[in-house]
Amino acid sequence: MSTVDTSTSPGAGSGVRAGEARRTPGLVPVAETLETTERHARPETPTPPVPSARERWAFWRLLGSELGLTFRRPRNLAMLAVIACVPVIIGVTLRIVGGQGGMGGIIADVAGNSLMLTFFALSFLVLLMMPVAVTVVAGDSVAGEAGAGTLRYLLAAPAGRTRLLLVKYLNAAIYAYAVTAVVALSALLTGLVLFPAGPVTLLSGTTITMAEGLLRILIAVGYVGAGMAALAAIGLALSTFTEVSIGAIAGTIVLVIVCQVLRAIPELDSITPYLLPTWFTNFDAVLRAPVDFGALREGLVAFGAYIALFGSIAWARFSGKDITS
Amino acid sequence: MTTVTQEAGAPFGAAPPPADGAGESAIVTEGLTKRFRGGQVAVNALDLAVPRGSVFGFLGPNGSGKTTTIRMLLGLVTPTAGTHSVLGLPATQALPRVGALVEGPAFYPYLSGTANLLRFDAADPTAPRTTARRRVAEALERVGLSAAAGKRYRNYSLGMRQRLAIAAALLGPRELLILDEPTNGLDPQGTREVRALVKEIAADGTTVFVSSHLLAEVEQMCTHAAIMRTGTLVAQGTIASLSGGLATRVRIETPDTADAARVLGTFGLADVRSEAGQVTAELGGHAPERINAALVEEGVAVRGLAVLRPSLEDVFVGLTGEGFDVDG
Amino acid sequence: MRRGTFVRWGVPIATAAVIGAAIGAGPVIAAVSGEPVLPERTPQQLLADAAAATGKDGGLPPMSGTVQQTASLGLPALPQTGVESPLSLLSGSHEVKVWYGAHDKLRVAMPTQMNETNLILNGGQAWYYDSSSNTATKLTIKGEAGKQHRLPTPQPTDVTPQQVAERLLANVDQHTAVRVINNAEVAGRPAYQLVVAPKDPGSLVQEIRIALDGENYVPLQVQVYAKGSAEPAFQLGFTQVTFTPPAPENFTFTPPAGTKVEERTLGLDAAGQQAEQRAEHAKDVADQLKVVGDGWTSVAVVPFSPSDLAPAPTPATGSADAHDPFGGGGSDPSALLDSVLKSATPVSGTWGSGKLIKTKLVTALVTDDGRLLVGAVTPEEIIEAAGTK
Repeated sequence: MSTVDTSTSPGAGSGVRAGEARRTPGLVPVAETLETTERHARPETPTPPVPSARERWAFWRLLGSELGLTFRRPRNLAMLAVIACVPVIIGVTLRIVGGQGGMGGIIADVAGNSLMLTFFALSFLVLLMMPVAVTVVAGDSVAGEAGAGTLRYLLAAPAGRTRLLLVKYLNAAIYAYAVTAVVALSALLTGLVLFPAGPVTLLSGTTITMAEGLLRILIAVGYVGAGMAALAAIGLALSTFTEVSIGAIAGTIVLVIVCQVLRAIPELDSITPYLLPTWFTNFDAVLRAPVDFGALREGLVAFGAYIALFGSIAWARFSGKDITS
Repeated sequence: MTTVTQEAGAPFGAAPPPADGAGESAIVTEGLTKRFRGGQVAVNALDLAVPRGSVFGFLGPNGSGKTTTIRMLLGLVTPTAGTHSVLGLPATQALPRVGALVEGPAFYPYLSGTANLLRFDAADPTAPRTTARRRVAEALERVGLSAAAGKRYRNYSLGMRQRLAIAAALLGPRELLILDEPTNGLDPQGTREVRALVKEIAADGTTVFVSSHLLAEVEQMCTHAAIMRTGTLVAQGTIASLSGGLATRVRIETPDTADAARVLGTFGLADVRSEAGQVTAELGGHAPERINAALVEEGVAVRGLAVLRPSLEDVFVGLTGEGFDVDG
Repeated sequence: MRRGTFVRWGVPIATAAVIGAAIGAGPVIAAVSGEPVLPERTPQQLLADAAAATGKDGGLPPMSGTVQQTASLGLPALPQTGVESPLSLLSGSHEVKVWYGAHDKLRVAMPTQMNETNLILNGGQAWYYDSSSNTATKLTIKGEAGKQHRLPTPQPTDVTPQQVAERLLANVDQHTAVRVINNAEVAGRPAYQLVVAPKDPGSLVQEIRIALDGENYVPLQVQVYAKGSAEPAFQLGFTQVTFTPPAPENFTFTPPAGTKVEERTLGLDAAGQQAEQRAEHAKDVADQLKVVGDGWTSVAVVPFSPSDLAPAPTPATGSADAHDPFGGGGSDPSALLDSVLKSATPVSGTWGSGKLIKTKLVTALVTDDGRLLVGAVTPEEIIEAAGTK
């Protein structure tokens, strides 16, 4: 149609030249597609507003795509693999050390029951290794796309800023739960192989059945995963402020380390309840009799507050950001 | 070439309506302005009207605000002032019907071409999942990448990357294609392919908005053009109307410049100029072959005769008084 | 656009405000809770009611809850000691869970990171279980012996507000002003607050507040405010409490498999003897103890030299013996003392010279002639007391 346009316009010269130029590329292979490709019919009327049900499916489709990206990315899988190895190493070490006898406390607990390794591994990994893995994914989520330039194509698609941010957060939260579950599963399997199965002794000195022990592991995983998801909100917020993902990742990890250092200073006891990592280890409430649901609830409220605060910061920043990368 | 009838800046309505006759604009901006933090004005009070069905060349040297304008059209950058609509809708609402290539290709290096396109298709809330694979395959075929569909993007050549980006812009039925420097970094072969593709797409009735810093490219591909300079719109209209303001000239190479000038004078050609070994004049509506015949009849030794059509570069120089930095 | 920016950032700011309000709400609501829900009482009426309520059926009603102790005494920086050192109780906050069924059914649990210490009292038998060492100690309390000597474990009654409240009420006399606040709230329950304030300006104590539950007069909280401080320097109280009988399994204890079980009959074995020795030692100290002044400004004077490792009795916490098992041979007291004395201010007067240690609530003076003066008084008062040989 544009050909018609030019030929009828005054200044026939340019029309001719344009026509000539149009024919030249016929020599190149792309021209073959002229015949083979089906033409997309141009809609006569603007497409009607999309039904909301379809929008909802589209949301899950984007989340699925995001998860596919996260869980196919070699780096993320490598982190899961490393994290899965740690409980195995701990288990084998405790098996060797615990075999010599004369060990008290948690080591004896772990050596005495296959389920205890899970709690021990969680309490050890939750301090730094799990936060690092979650932060890498969360901190990379927006900054990584911005740095690679794919963010502009996602938004032009159009993914929608709030929608994309929500998908990015859910993706990071799911990865957070995946990290937690990997630790728990790896520790559970290692424990079952290396240590005797049977009733579990709680910190309070009460004994529960193995089935109830497994249930309590499930609660612990739910709780720790929520904590990691709260950390992911911080990573996501920092991620919206930069186009260099390593900056957002390093920033969040430094924050975690600073919190852990502050917690270790007794003079600063009064501020520890406000620090996110303080609440990570509260999952030991499931090892008490009765289960200290109050402590779990407090922790979950703290996680919720962190998610709300940093989620809204991420939204405020991202929804108004000029994408210039 | 000193007299320039300037139609620049005239509202587009003055130009012939687009072929589909809708009289509707694919892109309209009014007073669109972007001032970045730090005070730098990237785009200043831009009034753009891109008719539907046109191949619209958005011409200007690098740094003249083309990309910032395109980012505003796509909702990536918030304008400081002014309004814009795309396909008659606020920009973000129209985006599902707009394909875009902004500042070169950007994909996930560890994914294949197909996986990359599926990823961007998933981001579009209006794209049906059921047809995704078919549409991706079609888009890849259209840009001639079917053979490399399963290859990781990391291993693509520059030309293949550019083509994949165009394929991403063609994933759905598009009414408007915004292509920012689509031939940037391509070899001559790749450039020709892209130009052919643009024309083919335009032939389907899709409006194509293509930015370029290459005059020749816009001249060859486009029906319409707008010229930008340091964030300001200098001129816009059909290619014909833009260059039509400048006269087409005829140049006769001859040792007998005086005789030649006289003959041209008898034809009534304006602005006859004699130089060493050649005479030029505005051609007007005269047929060059008849001028040639007359010259030969009068015994003027004609070594060569050429018709000089004005180029966009001439237009640009005429409008801005500056040379066009062709290399960017 | 600028307006849009403000609106957008309004969301996180509002979120922060809501969170801040939620964090601050507890104390604020408690402080300004408008209408008193409890009828007015004079201190005498309140004490009488409390005595009647607790005397009615032999003590406290069954309950369970979380007791929190917070201290910000403004102590000089203490060297890091074991987590369970008694000194750690002097700063920061600590939590114990309490289940109380009847006067002989009690469980106190001190949860720490991945550990828990439990004391379970059921009838004449008690279990002490420490998960970190995985040892269970069965304690049989022998009639008289149990009463004469304190347990080498924390006295359960020490951590209930009741005991502390009683101890503090004993100090009420002509030096003291007493009033009642009837709109307080502790652990979500309306409560009376008995406010005891020293009249003597030489005292470091601003006032002591004892909260009694509005319904059953169980002491819920004790707060000690130092002069010139809006936050209590010391606070012990329930953060959560329910007055329903706790589940019976809280009071039964079966040593789990693989646990080291020790049995002790108090008063007979080595630990008992040790306790006896300590009690004697404490008695020796008490014999040498001299009190200068009276009421709130009384200053305790004991012979003391830095080489003497005897624990110094302080008026606020009573005999240090009570806390000792928590320490379990924790830190080296002399090293601790050195570090404390290093930060002390040197003072001198007609009586000689010494080193002064000032905290929010307590001032201590170690004189070079081998005396230790301790009191909840201003430095001026204690220097004056040093002159009274």
